[in-house]
Amino acid sequence: MQNKRNFAPIFFVGPHIILFIVFILIPSIYGIYASFTKWNLVADPVWVGLDNYKTILADSDSTFNSQFLNGLKNTLLFVVLSVPLMIIIPLMIAVSLEHKEVKLKNLFQTLLYVPGLISISAAALIWSLIFNKQLGIVNNLFGSEAVWTTTQPYAWITIIVVTVWAGIGGNMIIYRAGINGVSRDLYESAEIDGAGSIRKFFSITLPSIKFPLIYTLVMTTAGAFNVFAQPLMMTSGGPRQGTTVLMMYIRDLAFSHGESIAGMASAMAVLLGLVILVISAFQYYAMSRNA
Amino acid sequence: MKKGLFFVLLVAIITLAGCSGSDKNTIEFWTPLTGEDGAYMDQLVEAYNETEPEFKVKHVVTSDMYTKMYTVLNSGKGIPDLSIIHADRVPSFVKQDLLEPMTTIVEQQSELNQDNYLDVAWESGVIDGTQYTIPLDIHSNAMYYNEDLLKEYGVENWLDDNVITFDEMLSMEGKLAENQFIVNDALMSWVILAQIQNLGGDIQVDGEPAVNTPEMKQAIEAAKQVADAGLMTPYGEDGYLMFQSGDVFFSTDGTWSSTGHAEVEGLNFGVTNIYSFEPDVYHNRASSHLFAMLANEDRTDEKEQGIGEFLEFIRQNSLVWAEAGQIVASTDVVESADYDQYMQSFFTSTPEQEESLYIYTYEYYPYIQEALDMYVADLVHGEMDIDEGLAEMQKFVEDKVNEGTLDVENAPDELPEEE
Repeated sequence: MQNKRNFAPIFFVGPHIILFIVFILIPSIYGIYASFTKWNLVADPVWVGLDNYKTILADSDSTFNSQFLNGLKNTLLFVVLSVPLMIIIPLMIAVSLEHKEVKLKNLFQTLLYVPGLISISAAALIWSLIFNKQLGIVNNLFGSEAVWTTTQPYAWITIIVVTVWAGIGGNMIIYRAGINGVSRDLYESAEIDGAGSIRKFFSITLPSIKFPLIYTLVMTTAGAFNVFAQPLMMTSGGPRQGTTVLMMYIRDLAFSHGESIAGMASAMAVLLGLVILVISAFQYYAMSRNA
Repeated sequence: MKKGLFFVLLVAIITLAGCSGSDKNTIEFWTPLTGEDGAYMDQLVEAYNETEPEFKVKHVVTSDMYTKMYTVLNSGKGIPDLSIIHADRVPSFVKQDLLEPMTTIVEQQSELNQDNYLDVAWESGVIDGTQYTIPLDIHSNAMYYNEDLLKEYGVENWLDDNVITFDEMLSMEGKLAENQFIVNDALMSWVILAQIQNLGGDIQVDGEPAVNTPEMKQAIEAAKQVADAGLMTPYGEDGYLMFQSGDVFFSTDGTWSSTGHAEVEGLNFGVTNIYSFEPDVYHNRASSHLFAMLANEDRTDEKEQGIGEFLEFIRQNSLVWAEAGQIVASTDVVESADYDQYMQSFFTSTPEQEESLYIYTYEYYPYIQEALDMYVADLVHGEMDIDEGLAEMQKFVEDKVNEGTLDVENAPDELPEEE
């Protein structure tokens, strides 16, 4: 028998594996290593064991402890506020676009998708002008007097609005694709049985797009934990560090003006990574079991 | 088909390999000058290259430059031959042995000496008697005034002594039309740092960072008083734009903003010092763009000579740099008649003015700046108690200093080993 080894799969997977190893795996491992060191990015890292973690988690006098807790609190708040909106709104749009009498479906889809393609910094600049007290349309339209970016809860609202505006398109496309894959027969037979549109949505649409839902929920949540640009651009983390998310502290520690504190920053990043990992795993488990 | 894949990989490898290894006869020159500043620097570099030097200069505008510098210093590959760094970076760069002294260059180019540069710019590159940098400019906090508003309220005489005082500003309480303000809160941390000098304070005591000081408190309280009197643009509003739209008497931004303000139609403005407590004591917090050479054993002596020639060219020809709104550091340029047309020439018009430019060179200054940037707006606008804020800022800086400093006894060689 001819023993011909097939190299084709290696060529298909290879580039991805190489990029993954070079840009994700090695940096991750090095990042975890750095979290056990004192390191200023220039000199060789000095091994300090669990010191960084002890400081961050247990030393309540330390600035790093209070920064971590405040950053994590704000990040969690952002996740809790934004993720449900980023799931429910796109789902509702996707379902309504399926209605027979909706015209120009592709136009709507495009209009909702385009914001996701705009750079988040550019988008944040546009939105800061929209929320600007003097020039912005929001205050002129609603006659409100608030300085949006420095008063709570408006500061959070601006951040959530930008995020939802930029983020719904991607999930919507996934849901539309999922819904399109559901057999028409199911809906027709449900109609014959006298099911209304709400019943059809909960009994047919939702169970049929279980996997897209799990996927988007996990990815959106993980993405939301890594939020950085929106609060940085819209509120600079204010007022009173009330919208300073963990990624902002991490970045300031590692790449600010002074000598870098990369070890501590890595430890915070690893802790954030663990939180994301645990929550994603729990979400995946809960959803795949219930669905 | 497999051949096709091989070909793609081959091309990729060749292209990637092409990235490394800089030209032997090119001076690779990194700057953090994004935007218009970069374009003016391009002009200077182009003019130099047209003189047909042995070593041509290749200007690379590098966003996020300091991070990239750490990367190349760590790998030892792709280190730029010349770069521009900010004055406040010099002490920590020198401490970490990241800079090559300018000693040989200064020996070769006799005109590159302190007499030919503004003192404060030149001195910001001297650490323990060694010259590590050659200055390009000083960029300073500056206060722009709206001529029309001053006239309208009959207070043009405020400008007579070139210093606006807190008292003068506070005297306008309750006299302004709705939505008009005396001053904005742009670059507030810089303004506070100037007040600390005005009050005779400092940001360090015996090398230890000192943020929670009576002077700092007094400076912030004074600014808060202006805000409380309703004379400062409200928290979170774009005071810079409000100045440009003609509703604010004074804008405390930077020398480089003059070009932006000049583009606003109908805005008649001039420049003066940052406000102060007394008319005879005034400072403007400044920084400086400095030419520096990152430590690199591969830099040849010939190339260093080429760098010296380029720096000498810049010294003579950097009038273009004034277009960017910066205070040029070369005295040849500053004293030339052409320079007077630029608004920032105000800051070098007299020796006293020159002395008002203050560059912080304390080793841990960057951490203090960071703390101020994080807290000062909340403090000045009354969002946070000043004592509480000062204590947190002090702790913030101390923790960073402790964490950012490697203990000498267990620190290995400061520089990564060169392969």
